[in-house]
Amino acid sequence: MRIAGWTIIAVALAALLLPLLLPWNYDQIDWSGVRAAPFSHGHLLGTDSVGRDLLARTLIGTRVTLMVAGAAAAVALLLGTLWGAIAGWAGGRVDEAMMRIVDALYALPFMFVVILLMVVFGRSIVLVFLGIGAVEWLTMARVVRGQVLALRHRPFVLAAEAAGAPPAAILLRHILPNVAGVALAYLLLTVPQVVMVESFLSFLGLGVQEPLTSLGILVHDGAEDMDVAPLALLVPGAVLVGLILAMTSLGERLRDRLAR
Amino acid sequence: MSAILIRRLATAVPTLLVVILLSFVLMRAAPGSPFDGERPLDPATRAAFSAAYGLDKPLPVQAARYVGGVLRGDFGPSLVYKDFTVGALIAQGLPVSLTLGGLALVLALALGIGGATIAGTHAGGIADRAIMTAATLLTAIPSFVTGPALVLVFALWLQLLPVSGLDGTRSLVLPVVALALPVSGAIARLARAGLVVALAQDHVLTARARGLPPRMILWRHALRPALLPVVSYLGPAAAGLLTGAVVIETVFGLPGLGRYFVQGALNRDYPLVLGVVILYAALILLFNLIADLAYGWLDPRVRG
Amino acid sequence: MTLYTVERLGVATGGVALVHDVAFAVERGRCTALVGASGSGKSLSCLAPFGLSAGVASGSARFEGRELIGRDEVDLRPIRARAGFVFQHPLTALTPHLQIGAQLTEAATALGGARPDRRALAAMLDRVGISSPEAKLDAYPHRLSGGERQRVLIAAATAHGPRLLVADEPTSALDASLRHAIMDVLARLRDDGLGLLLVSHDLALVARYADQLVVIENGRVAEAGGVAVIANPASAAARALVAASPKLDDPAPLLPPVGGSLLEARDIRVAFRAPGWRGGRIAAVDGASLEVRQGEALAIVGGSGSGKSTLARAIGRIGPCDAGSVTWRGVALPPRHAMRREHRAAMQAVFQDPIASLDPQWSVIESVAEPLRYLMPELGAGERRTRALMALEAVELDPAFADRRPAQLSGGQAQRVAIARALVARPELLILDEATSALDVLVAGRILALLETLQRERGVAILLITHDIAVARRLCHRIAVMEAGRIVEEGPSAALVATPRSAAAEALVTASR
Repeated sequence: MRIAGWTIIAVALAALLLPLLLPWNYDQIDWSGVRAAPFSHGHLLGTDSVGRDLLARTLIGTRVTLMVAGAAAAVALLLGTLWGAIAGWAGGRVDEAMMRIVDALYALPFMFVVILLMVVFGRSIVLVFLGIGAVEWLTMARVVRGQVLALRHRPFVLAAEAAGAPPAAILLRHILPNVAGVALAYLLLTVPQVVMVESFLSFLGLGVQEPLTSLGILVHDGAEDMDVAPLALLVPGAVLVGLILAMTSLGERLRDRLAR
Repeated sequence: MSAILIRRLATAVPTLLVVILLSFVLMRAAPGSPFDGERPLDPATRAAFSAAYGLDKPLPVQAARYVGGVLRGDFGPSLVYKDFTVGALIAQGLPVSLTLGGLALVLALALGIGGATIAGTHAGGIADRAIMTAATLLTAIPSFVTGPALVLVFALWLQLLPVSGLDGTRSLVLPVVALALPVSGAIARLARAGLVVALAQDHVLTARARGLPPRMILWRHALRPALLPVVSYLGPAAAGLLTGAVVIETVFGLPGLGRYFVQGALNRDYPLVLGVVILYAALILLFNLIADLAYGWLDPRVRG
Repeated sequence: MTLYTVERLGVATGGVALVHDVAFAVERGRCTALVGASGSGKSLSCLAPFGLSAGVASGSARFEGRELIGRDEVDLRPIRARAGFVFQHPLTALTPHLQIGAQLTEAATALGGARPDRRALAAMLDRVGISSPEAKLDAYPHRLSGGERQRVLIAAATAHGPRLLVADEPTSALDASLRHAIMDVLARLRDDGLGLLLVSHDLALVARYADQLVVIENGRVAEAGGVAVIANPASAAARALVAASPKLDDPAPLLPPVGGSLLEARDIRVAFRAPGWRGGRIAAVDGASLEVRQGEALAIVGGSGSGKSTLARAIGRIGPCDAGSVTWRGVALPPRHAMRREHRAAMQAVFQDPIASLDPQWSVIESVAEPLRYLMPELGAGERRTRALMALEAVELDPAFADRRPAQLSGGQAQRVAIARALVARPELLILDEATSALDVLVAGRILALLETLQRERGVAILLITHDIAVARRLCHRIAVMEAGRIVEEGPSAALVATPRSAAAEALVTASR
């Protein structure tokens, strides 16, 4: 678990700080070295098909991916928690109705709906955040609702009511602290999912737009050139996979710890 | 069982209708869509559109016409592929995608459940840890990374299989494998967890006390409850396969529905994009229905 | 004839010895019972030699002339198959996706015997007292009640004609009224020549059915002998067990005096929506009335599903109440959502599941002080802490417990914290909703003793919900018997127990004898 945590922090820090130290900018074209091999022409990892430094692009790409993932996960958390908490607390018919909606939406290929919306309304970065967050909020809603529902009928909540606590106090001091842990664990699991969605969209050309780059775009570009410059595919691919793996394993350990 | 069917249909059918209706609304609302009078269209397209969508009729009638059309399989003319209706394009691409997805699902189930059985029955051992690490890795690697990576290794370096295109069964091997791998990882993890839980159940202890051999206990008493989490996952698995297919078809140049979808999205061919979304939604709803029925078969308590 | 002899038995897990030097024997047509509190090692002693529990067994265990200990699983299996086993959890011990008939057939043919035909299978079910056996053969387990499932399990365990039946707490998970029925089935099998090895913590039950008693404490045999052990326990362990479970023929308890009317509930009705989409309502409480006086303890006793918890919660305004009135000292209590501080301060509750009664994120002292925050807002934080510590002392908990979390408490300790929290604001009525049902027999006994002390010292009125009429008799002045949502009989404890008039009361008394 510690390895996963430190890996994420290391990668995030690298993505934030290292580009400041590199001589090359991510969109700067080095005309002297197109498709350069690693360690040549002053490029640590070589260059891509247009002559841009691969290391710089990978780092910036990671930065963008993490930012989008963070923002989108926050959207999923907010929407999902609100929905799930209201459903779980209200119970009865309200809960049934709200969860039926979630069930119906679960069946839809959300990815496609997001792409659809992007096609229709154009591709702004905000839409990317919102759209991707909208893909993942359903799971969060289910998890939060399940937790709130289970807690609501626990004897300690009844005891709090018998002790004279008003509903607001019960929600704030009893329900929320017990939901926060599980929500956090699922948040950590949502982020890698979001990273995958963002990469997916970028790979297809529907996500982050040039001149910005993200890991998904890098993998797409790398795939096109892989016969000549395999590193252009393998390096961003490895970073992407590593990030997803680390975050998933951290999130799962946390979730299992809290389930006990 | 019929109760489950009725319940599912009761949610599924309205959902589908809502999706179709929403698509209609989106088409009208989209800025720069052909329905927006400002976009210049050549007379042929305009004529085709007027005929197909009845642009001169009042809005509710247009909506009803669209919904009725969709239910008959008529999604209107494509914006980009001038001579084709969306329906015709879907008919072209669907068999490819279904074959790809179907084979991938079968492979994923076989790999996943097979791996999980070995891992679960030797829980804690080396085989268990190895298989589960592999499964976790597989779920973390998106198919658009495995796809090109597989092509790199098997097509370019080892020259064993074709790089892209659809000619003959050999060209399906890499796409199916690339599509199936992440899903197989997820299935393996779910099935193993299900198996470990099932083997710890009281009824398995009863079977053991009865003196039954382990193989029989596994097959007769533990396997069905162990598969329950996998069956619950079938709906999301189908969605995952459809999504993954989009990428795989693009990477491998297969003329399937996913590739049409991407092209449509990039070229803003609204009718095509919407048609595919509706179709995919219907497929997933169907899959969820099958999954529910399978769950009922595995666990009689659900049947009521 | 001796079927099964155990000598010098030891069981160890992870290097730690949990059972030392245990010895007992089971003879044909006789019942040997291993008795002890939970964690005493009785189940381990019973199951470990057969390889059905965790732990490595040492010593000697000879079954039908063959030594069990030292064999690996493959060798053990055929020997084990010659005995029959019944476990504690009937609701989950049958495979949910196989029909009853199929599971019985599997059990009957496990040793290679011939497949029984339908008539033979139905006869097996009939022998254990299952009604309409033919029809039940095609049913799935979830369609049968808990009692029926346990009978099926007994039939399955004896289907291949074993001579030894091992039953590990066969009635612990069942309703009190069912216990005797199940034990009767086992007793009949024993009278037919089966050797029975029984594990239980319920001394009263064991006294009626066992021929030989072995008392186990901390993994060792504390005492062994005939049933006389219960009448004259020699060891401390046996004495503790005997004292812990109240019995109906215990001497009449000395109860504190009773004052004027405190709480009166008239014609309470509570109904729930029936499950499924067809709708309709199920009446959980169908017009019940009762009265509690100052310092008085009233018990509501009934089987599961009788509505007793629902009634208590409706009266205490911590559960739904659809109709009926509740008055406190003559003043009507408002409905649940309108309850105010002064109403809440009068009544407090303790629930069945001790760990779930405490917020896992809060420390013990925070939980205990919570009622003070709302019911006595004039107190400052320091004063609240002091009172909470005093409450902990009253329930005999060391002040060191104050900063612990529920996860660090045992069941008994958590229940004491819950009692402290209920009493900290000095209510006049304490509602105990099956407060000892989920506790181990020895722990429950100690909590009952604590409640007796508190009742005496504080003069608090008690509304006790329980399914055990012997517990009711020990603490309460009066008993009300509830069945299917109605109070069918009510009267002073001693009289009701001595001469019950309603069928429900009679069943409860018999079940506790």
